[in-house]
Amino acid sequence: MSARKKTWITSAFSEFNLTPTTVDSEGAPAKRTRSAPSAATKTRSKQNGNSTLTLPTASVDLTADKDDDKEESEGCRQPPPTLRANWMDSFSPTSSEELAVHSKKIGELRDWLRHCEAVRRKAPAQMCLLTGPTGAGKTATLRVLAKEFGYQLQEWINPVDCEVVNALGDQRNGESYTGSHLEAFRSFLLRASRYKSLLDAQNKRLLLVEDFPNILLSDSEANFDELLEQYSESGKSPLVFIVADAKSRGLNISYKLFPEQVKAKHRIEHISFNSIAATIMQKSMKTFCAIMQQKENKALYKVPPSTVVDSIVVGAQGDIRNALINLHLSSMKGVPNMPTKELNVSVASKGRKRKTQSTLKSIGRDESITVMHALGRVMNPKFTENKRLQHSPEVLTEAFRTEPRNFVNFIHANYLPHFREIEDVVPAIHDLGLADCMLNEYREDALSLMGLNIAIRGSMLANSAPVSGWMPIRGPKRINWQPLATLAEQKLLGTRYAGTSKGIYATEYKSFVKCIAAKRPEEMPTEIELSIED
Amino acid sequence: MSLWVDKYRPRELTKLDFHKEQAENLRNLCKQSDFPHLMFYGPSGAGKKTRIMCLLREMYGAGVERLRSETMTFTTPSNRKVEVMTVSSNYHLEVNPSDAGMYDRTVVIDLIKQVAQTHQIEINGQREFKVIVISEGDELTKDAQHALRRTMEKYVATCRIIMSVNSTSRIIPAIRSRCLGIRVAAPSEAEMTAILQSTCKREGLVLPVELAKRVVDKSERNLRRALLMLEAAKVAKSPFTAQQEIPDLDWQVFLRETASQIISEQTPAKLEKIRDRLYELLTQGVPPNLIFRGLVEHLVNNCDMSIKAKTLELATEYEHRMQNGAKHIFHLEAFVAQFMSIYKKFTSELLMDEF
Repeated sequence: MSARKKTWITSAFSEFNLTPTTVDSEGAPAKRTRSAPSAATKTRSKQNGNSTLTLPTASVDLTADKDDDKEESEGCRQPPPTLRANWMDSFSPTSSEELAVHSKKIGELRDWLRHCEAVRRKAPAQMCLLTGPTGAGKTATLRVLAKEFGYQLQEWINPVDCEVVNALGDQRNGESYTGSHLEAFRSFLLRASRYKSLLDAQNKRLLLVEDFPNILLSDSEANFDELLEQYSESGKSPLVFIVADAKSRGLNISYKLFPEQVKAKHRIEHISFNSIAATIMQKSMKTFCAIMQQKENKALYKVPPSTVVDSIVVGAQGDIRNALINLHLSSMKGVPNMPTKELNVSVASKGRKRKTQSTLKSIGRDESITVMHALGRVMNPKFTENKRLQHSPEVLTEAFRTEPRNFVNFIHANYLPHFREIEDVVPAIHDLGLADCMLNEYREDALSLMGLNIAIRGSMLANSAPVSGWMPIRGPKRINWQPLATLAEQKLLGTRYAGTSKGIYATEYKSFVKCIAAKRPEEMPTEIELSIED
Repeated sequence: MSLWVDKYRPRELTKLDFHKEQAENLRNLCKQSDFPHLMFYGPSGAGKKTRIMCLLREMYGAGVERLRSETMTFTTPSNRKVEVMTVSSNYHLEVNPSDAGMYDRTVVIDLIKQVAQTHQIEINGQREFKVIVISEGDELTKDAQHALRRTMEKYVATCRIIMSVNSTSRIIPAIRSRCLGIRVAAPSEAEMTAILQSTCKREGLVLPVELAKRVVDKSERNLRRALLMLEAAKVAKSPFTAQQEIPDLDWQVFLRETASQIISEQTPAKLEKIRDRLYELLTQGVPPNLIFRGLVEHLVNNCDMSIKAKTLELATEYEHRMQNGAKHIFHLEAFVAQFMSIYKKFTSELLMDEF
């Protein structure tokens, strides 16, 4: 127990980070803080090197992304002379020029850090929120810039067991209770910013929260807002939250924890990253290949053929971390070239003739398709020479099987402008209606998929002559009940108002009550008296 | 000054203006110590709610008229909070669960449990049960109705349910069999005219016979609508004249215009405009089935005999689908599109014949 305690303390204050590495390797899992890459990651990478090249942990992954970025821009500069076991680590970017992130975004973050610097005496507890798709280089950018500004990065990592935390604190006999994660998180925020590491010369710290305690997400009673409030009052260093975008709102942390009013209240700077553009990625892949061809790496790696590299870029879809991992695999010596498959999209490449894109056959991300993209395929279906649909409805259905209702609503909101004749509309809307009925049947899982398929097929095939042209996509309409009665009208109705259903009120009362209430405002006081008598 | 509808609403069973025989029966029902669950059914504005309140007064005395309105919050299994407005006295509670939309099941179960688990404090001379009045029971989803069936049996010792529904056809048989059905038919035109006249007399106004007839005609034998209409007319022009204008229901006017737009042009672009209009009606809170019905009526009145049958056939199909589906607009739109298509075909054939 005591040993565990110790690890926790050390991590929280991040001072003994070098000493307890032995404890670490022994397997105490509750390590919460990771200090700046300069100190801790190096030791860890050594360890990794000693043991095996198994999962290089999340942090290493992230830096790997950066590596790519850096390499692409930098090219010839190749610092690591020794053959490192941790392949990812050796390529992490060290300066902002090496990042693959768009320079504007880097500039934004740098401006924020400058601002922190400027107000360091008066208001040290600045907050910032970085969002963006996975593998967009959020963490990488932050690490590089923190180094540039001389900040020591301290990161919160969710403890594996909260028992440790409990035994440490002042609560009785170490029993566990649910608040402990939150408590630990709170004390991390408030204390880690305050005390500096004994072993580190840098006295500026930057807190990083990438791993949100689950309790903040699942329990409405855990008040994140309050926590931020406390931090902005008593925190001593800038705090950065990094949140990866999620498609659904339920999973979207930035939406859940950082609503607009919270951001405004605590002046949280929000910088959202975009996924990495294909051209930049291409460049970074090239630099990366160049690095691998340097003599110390040559023994291990070969250069993959350009089609494979292109396919990796396509398959990664802006996720540079993923691209790097794939590149690593495909450039190992002794591994056969990875098979690629052609996508049925052709892309115009700079002025030259169109070339077909291909993606890795078995590895890499599934092609994820945005709603906008899919809607385009549904609204303007393309046919191959033999009169078959180029994009199979099944593939589209499969892509949206998790949210069929949403996609059907999108089709409904957008299908009409694409039709020329009312006769064509009839089968389309007929199928949409059928889909609606099927989606409403929740007792049978398969029906929702079928419903979606019917809706997609219906609207693809019904349109005999689609209208082409630029048509902005509209979101599905939500029906919000408007507040039904004005105050004067409510007074006129008295308690009756509460007893009347919305439907009855709208159909029966509304139009008449409106004219009655409008015509005699001077009588209002007497009305109130009378209704009290009632 | 409250609305005429409320001001002159009969408070006691003996003072009801029509269906007097039925009122007598209801009084007899109250004389017994116990009575079954009730279901009042009949068209809108026929006086179901009035009769329910009269009945409660007969049972519990004037105390039931001390109403307080309250907003109750329910938590659904999916952790969503639903707010429902209720009106209650010490003896009864009136609720409209259909306002909770698809979460009405939670409302029904929780509410009845809450109410039914507490006994009446005052026992002497009172009934030993409370009454829950569920208005618009036919708007309840099937799920909620099934939930209701169970709770009805379980808590029969401490609570009675009185439902007010428009049509029993949308109530599941299990509930229909557990309730004593009481039909409240719409008042006849003569009865309505008499009520309008007596109301005006009590207000000190003179109502021309012709105007009374016009209001009755226009209100479609809906007494509530007639009284509101008359009051609105009075506000517009105080001493009544026989030919004065009677205000219309906004949404009906709007719907009529929508129908004539459908007749005027049959293109996808027009359909889109129609959809916007339908959306507007839905956001106003007009129930989709009323929209559907109004639309069909206007369209059928304005089209040729040869396509009337087809129109009605399509209407039944899409109305049925609308009940099964969740997005009403899909089915409304589908019906409009179908109608446009057959109407267009019809007019083009007509043109061909002329040549």
